[in-house]
Amino acid sequence: MRLHKVDRSTPGTRETFRPIVKGMGDEELVGQVAQGDERALSELYDRYARPVYATGVRLLRDSHLAEDLVQDAFTNVWRGAASFDPKRASFATWLFRLTRNRAVDLNRRRRVRPLSAGEEPLRNVSGGPEPESSVDLWDVAEALSLISAEHREVLNLAYFEGLSQREISQRTGVPLGTVKSRTTAALKRVRQAMEVNAVGEPRRE
Amino acid sequence: MSEDRFEELLGPYVLGQLTAEDKHELEHHLEECPRCRDELERVRQTHSLLRELAVSEPPAELKSRTMAQARGETTTRFEVRWKVWVPAAAALLVATILGIGLLQTIIGDSSASVPLNATALAPGASGELRGAKVGENFQVELEVRGLPKLQKGEYYEMWYAKEGGGRISCGAFRTQPEGRTTVHLTAPVNAVSYPKIEVTREPDNGNPGASGKEVLVGDLRNL
Repeated sequence: MRLHKVDRSTPGTRETFRPIVKGMGDEELVGQVAQGDERALSELYDRYARPVYATGVRLLRDSHLAEDLVQDAFTNVWRGAASFDPKRASFATWLFRLTRNRAVDLNRRRRVRPLSAGEEPLRNVSGGPEPESSVDLWDVAEALSLISAEHREVLNLAYFEGLSQREISQRTGVPLGTVKSRTTAALKRVRQAMEVNAVGEPRRE
Repeated sequence: MSEDRFEELLGPYVLGQLTAEDKHELEHHLEECPRCRDELERVRQTHSLLRELAVSEPPAELKSRTMAQARGETTTRFEVRWKVWVPAAAALLVATILGIGLLQTIIGDSSASVPLNATALAPGASGELRGAKVGENFQVELEVRGLPKLQKGEYYEMWYAKEGGGRISCGAFRTQPEGRTTVHLTAPVNAVSYPKIEVTREPDNGNPGASGKEVLVGDLRNL
């Protein structure tokens, strides 16, 4: 039931309520996943499926294998959430490493058969940063998860759902002027979160 | 318009969402204000990354497939919580469908089928493979019954195998207490050169290779 409550962090406005899962940090969500909560897994998918998929496309050069990678990675999150230790690494770092390892496995399986027409071998999965790096996308996805729920919402609607500022205002009940200033503030917060995180997270090892 | 107000408009500006009037005023201000120009550059960089992230969206239906796969594992993850194992459920039925969305087509065409034969590792098991070549893909439905109960961490895996060695994994699945599992898998294009079908029992030891513990075998050349 806990996840069905709503976030009333901005009482007194006409803003629509958002599910509390939207306001949770990644690590808290993993804790929920470990207890078998699908809504928490769904939220983590929404936050990180894009960088996982982008990593798959870049490393495996095959969109079908990249889809397999997304499925594998999040099934592993579901399966391994209980073993996740937030003291050792952030969720994003954990998922990034898991994604790379699964990409290596997928490539190993692919090597037992000849490549299909138009299919290219896996690029540089032995370790180290990949040449056309997808780490920026991981950084920005993680930064999005670190900012406030209301900032994340406005950016999700603008970038991932393609809504105009006016449509965001109509969807959320937030006045148009506030949507505009909130969009700018949210973009700044993302950048700040990336700068802070870049110092603290040695994900690229 | 105050400087703070100009700065607040940088987000909608990079998104192309300002009115012509606001855009004109802001651009005029930017010509005179190096601080806002610097801020615009930073906002633009973040904007570009978010755009790139947005276009990295995987197909929409992948989420429901992924959630379904995780859900399919729920019963095994929380196996200890199950009070009753239903052995009589018997009819351990695993439908492995290769080729999403074409289930109806496959079911409708049951004329082409291959029996799967039990090995010494699973004497009570039996199965049948039905399918057809559709374009560049092999669309296959696999039904098995009476597979042995898996230990914690184990799973079954289906393979296309070549005479004399070489296998392609079609994917992994587990049987469930109620004896029914539907697994969505992708068929490799060049399966024809791998005519043998094997279902193996695999330990969860991180090794993607086949364990060699075959429980069912068949041959696509009989299809």
